[in-house]
Amino acid sequence: MNYADWPLSAPVNITWEITHQCNLNCIHCLSSSSTASPGELNLDECLSTVDQLAALKIFEINFGGGEPLLIKHFIPLLRYIHEKGIVTCISTNGTALTDEAIACFTDNPLVNVQVSLDGATPEVNDRIRGQGTFHRIIRGMELLAGKNISLSINTVVTSLNFTQLSQLKKLAGSYGARLRVSRFRPSGRARESWEMLRLNAAQLRDLSDWLGDDPSILTGDSFFSISQDGRRQLGLDMCGACKMTCCIDPCGLVYPCAFMQEKEFCGGNLRETAFKDIWDNSEVFNYFRHLEPAACRECPRFSKCRGGCPAVAYFVSRDLNSADPECLANWSQNVLSAPSVEGQI
Amino acid sequence: MVCRLAENVQVRKESWGLLFYSQHRHKVCFVKSGDWLNPEHFDGTWTLDDITDDIARRTGTPAEIIERSIPKLTERLTANRMIVNELC
Repeated sequence: MNYADWPLSAPVNITWEITHQCNLNCIHCLSSSSTASPGELNLDECLSTVDQLAALKIFEINFGGGEPLLIKHFIPLLRYIHEKGIVTCISTNGTALTDEAIACFTDNPLVNVQVSLDGATPEVNDRIRGQGTFHRIIRGMELLAGKNISLSINTVVTSLNFTQLSQLKKLAGSYGARLRVSRFRPSGRARESWEMLRLNAAQLRDLSDWLGDDPSILTGDSFFSISQDGRRQLGLDMCGACKMTCCIDPCGLVYPCAFMQEKEFCGGNLRETAFKDIWDNSEVFNYFRHLEPAACRECPRFSKCRGGCPAVAYFVSRDLNSADPECLANWSQNVLSAPSVEGQI
Repeated sequence: MVCRLAENVQVRKESWGLLFYSQHRHKVCFVKSGDWLNPEHFDGTWTLDDITDDIARRTGTPAEIIERSIPKLTERLTANRMIVNELC
């Protein structure tokens, strides 16, 4: 039995999409954020949720959205979480920083800040995140740098920024930050841009090699299935959805992960059911815990990745029994027939 | 010698044992210790002998069996930077 199969009384970490409100309109946004959704949790409901999570000794809450810093009660909520000793990671677009937020982050060991930037130049970043955003994001990095904040630049790797990853690493380093890369996955608005922005097999191979050669690059989850074995040992090596993590949406609905926010995958509603009850008893969550995609069972790598990222598999094929189309086994088969890559990382 | 959680490490009890979490490295460590160990054993007040006595008292396991297992386990946790050993 793999350690990830050992049942946990609660997640290790939670992704909490605190709002759908956003001042940007990125073409790859996983949650199609723009305006706040009706019925988003208010501060009291958020505090009550934190009480539940703290009682379960959840170690880490990763905030995203939407842009968390647009929510008036976000910093008071963050302070409350820190009083409970829970580690936080705030994913922000860096354009809505306030003095209050920066003060909350500064010298705070319970805070990690991740600024989203999708290109090392305005030409590339702004095609994804919107006109003029590169300079606004860089201004945010300048405000955060040098303040003893655990800081990273997060880049969703796409065909547009693939050749700029080394530049992005240098750019991050210039602000005392690390580069974290995330997989581009076809949920939210990314479904519309999937074919345009997804990596081809040769790019996936080069990305895997690059990550294998540089352990300093942080990776988001689900890289295990597209990476060589050396890289896989650096982090979670199989899908942690419903095993080690899950996602709370702005209205209190609980999903297996941020990329699986479909009605049929909802485990429960925090306005009706306690978090612990959802985690322990949701039929959806129990299904995901035992998910072994039929298409992968004969694969010699099955014991290593258990089918890869179900979100990518599902949104490409609408079938949870399909393989992650970008997994190492798939891109290895396809790499000879893939178009040649223009430029290197 | 006592065992103490390393800086910025947290631990919680699970049905199969203990789950350690390092906030700086965002890493977890699964320790399949069943009912033997509790988070309190790593608060810096328990020697290995104290821990052994406590396990023997609660579980009825002979002390010599516990003494063979616990040092290996604490060595692994020390190597993983989840705990530190301190002189009493």
